[in-house]
Amino acid sequence: MNSLVILNSVIDEIGSALLFFVNILKTLMRRPCSRDELFQQIWKVTMQSLVTTGLAGFFVGAIMAVQFTLQMREFGALGYLGGLATSATVREVGPLLIAFMLAGKVGAFTSAELGTMRVTEQLDAIRCLGADPLQEIILPRFLAIICASFFLLGLGLVMSIGGGILLGGLLAQVSVEEYLRHIPAIVTLSSIANGLVKCFIFAVILATVCTYKGYTTTGGAKGVGLAVVNTAVSTMVGIVVADWLTSFIADVAIRAFVGSPF
Amino acid sequence: MIQFEKVVKRFGPRTILKELTLHVPAGEILFILGTSGTGKSVLLKTLVGLLRPDEGEIWIDGQEVSKFSEIEYLGIRKKCGMVFQQPALFDSLTVFENVAFGLRRHYRLPEAEIVSRVHSSLAAVHLPDASEKMPGEISYGMQKRVSLARTLALRPQVLLFDEPTTGLDPITTASVNLLIEELSRQFSTTSIVVSHDMTCALSIADRIIMLDQGRIVEEGSPDHMKRSQVPLVKEFLAEVVT
Ligand SMILES: Nc1ncnc2c1ncn2[C@@H]1O[C@H](COP(=O)(O)OP(=O)(O)O)[C@@H](O)[C@H]1O
Ligand SMILES: [Mg+2]
Repeated sequence: MNSLVILNSVIDEIGSALLFFVNILKTLMRRPCSRDELFQQIWKVTMQSLVTTGLAGFFVGAIMAVQFTLQMREFGALGYLGGLATSATVREVGPLLIAFMLAGKVGAFTSAELGTMRVTEQLDAIRCLGADPLQEIILPRFLAIICASFFLLGLGLVMSIGGGILLGGLLAQVSVEEYLRHIPAIVTLSSIANGLVKCFIFAVILATVCTYKGYTTTGGAKGVGLAVVNTAVSTMVGIVVADWLTSFIADVAIRAFVGSPF
Repeated sequence: MIQFEKVVKRFGPRTILKELTLHVPAGEILFILGTSGTGKSVLLKTLVGLLRPDEGEIWIDGQEVSKFSEIEYLGIRKKCGMVFQQPALFDSLTVFENVAFGLRRHYRLPEAEIVSRVHSSLAAVHLPDASEKMPGEISYGMQKRVSLARTLALRPQVLLFDEPTTGLDPITTASVNLLIEELSRQFSTTSIVVSHDMTCALSIADRIIMLDQGRIVEEGSPDHMKRSQVPLVKEFLAEVVT
């Protein structure tokens, strides 16, 4: 009984978040936000997460290099280290990592900022002063998170290749040239597309959840804290579920069109 | 000017406003008193369409507005300026831009007109020199006055105040109360002040309404309220400083 109530409220919440997302899209179609405000937000989001994403990207590259080295040494296939590590990062680890990083940093920041605007009645004041908060406040933040995740994905990838080269060199004496040689062959267009689609989907989930949670905050300072925690939890869960779903759908699609996954 | 007819507002299972009926003639200063959580803010927010009533009608200037679209409500919000309980200033904008915000959205005015309106509004709240400051750099009492100036800049016919003096020190409270009376009379606006300050209500109001649990339990002139036998009113009267 109790779990049924919880399930019900979770479904309700997902429903309202989807409705909120649709409203953002409608606003985007009818009255897009000002370009200045959008660029300002993109700049802010990117700057906020530049260092964290760069560092995380570097270490992901390093970790991948270590893991692949351990396995590939046995097969004498170290020449493919760079290609495989990069491919795995592009397809899966990169987008997932960027999304988690952004959820922790930008997601939390955005829901706290919007939640504070809600509980201090700024969002009500905006409406009374003749503006649409969805258009002027939510939309630029929403779009900025999506745009910035692509920049940060690119940065993360470059850094991860750097990390991979360093560790590959130290651990397996793979030279820079050797590390890079097979990247173009193994990192195919389809794996890049896969990574970009995932990055986009995760960013949309993050942007929707954090703006929704912030916008619908109630209950003073405590409510803002709750909104931030809920944003972190819901985006993480949402992203993992979406990751599984996209992998699943991609798999089905490939089987349907190509016949076999390889 | 403003009429609530049997307005009901619910949040989930809780009914906040219970068939509330209320008439406010033009030019009146009406005080709505009540303890915290009885729905005073909800009442003001339903009037300007920030919240929608579940039942009943709301009439403003001969128009039934409760079914208005968000776009149609813009006209109402020009006419009825709301001053929120918190200053609700935008922290990233200067005081000047905060006050100009509504003018830039609601009207298409030449910049010179905006500048002059902002300055006259700031002068009206006795803050002529604050325009280049950021909200974070001025005191809470000043922020509340800037917030008042931001609403005044629209030159509304109706002023709605949500607990204008809650959380202010006695001196600032006195000055804000004076300001409310001054501005209401000077611009001959209709004013609805939500408050739990009986002292101030008795000195400024034309009429006082006591709200309890979403219902009106007593209403009348300040003199009438002073003689009221309703228990809640007597409790409020006990707090009055004379
Ligand atoms: N947006 C909302 N969602 C749910 N409940 C609300 C909302 N706004 C107000 N309430 C509830 O309505 C009641 C009246 O609130 P309010 O009008 O703010 O009281 P006050 O008279 O102190 O201004 C409170 O119990 C509050 O919890
Ligand atoms: Mg209130």
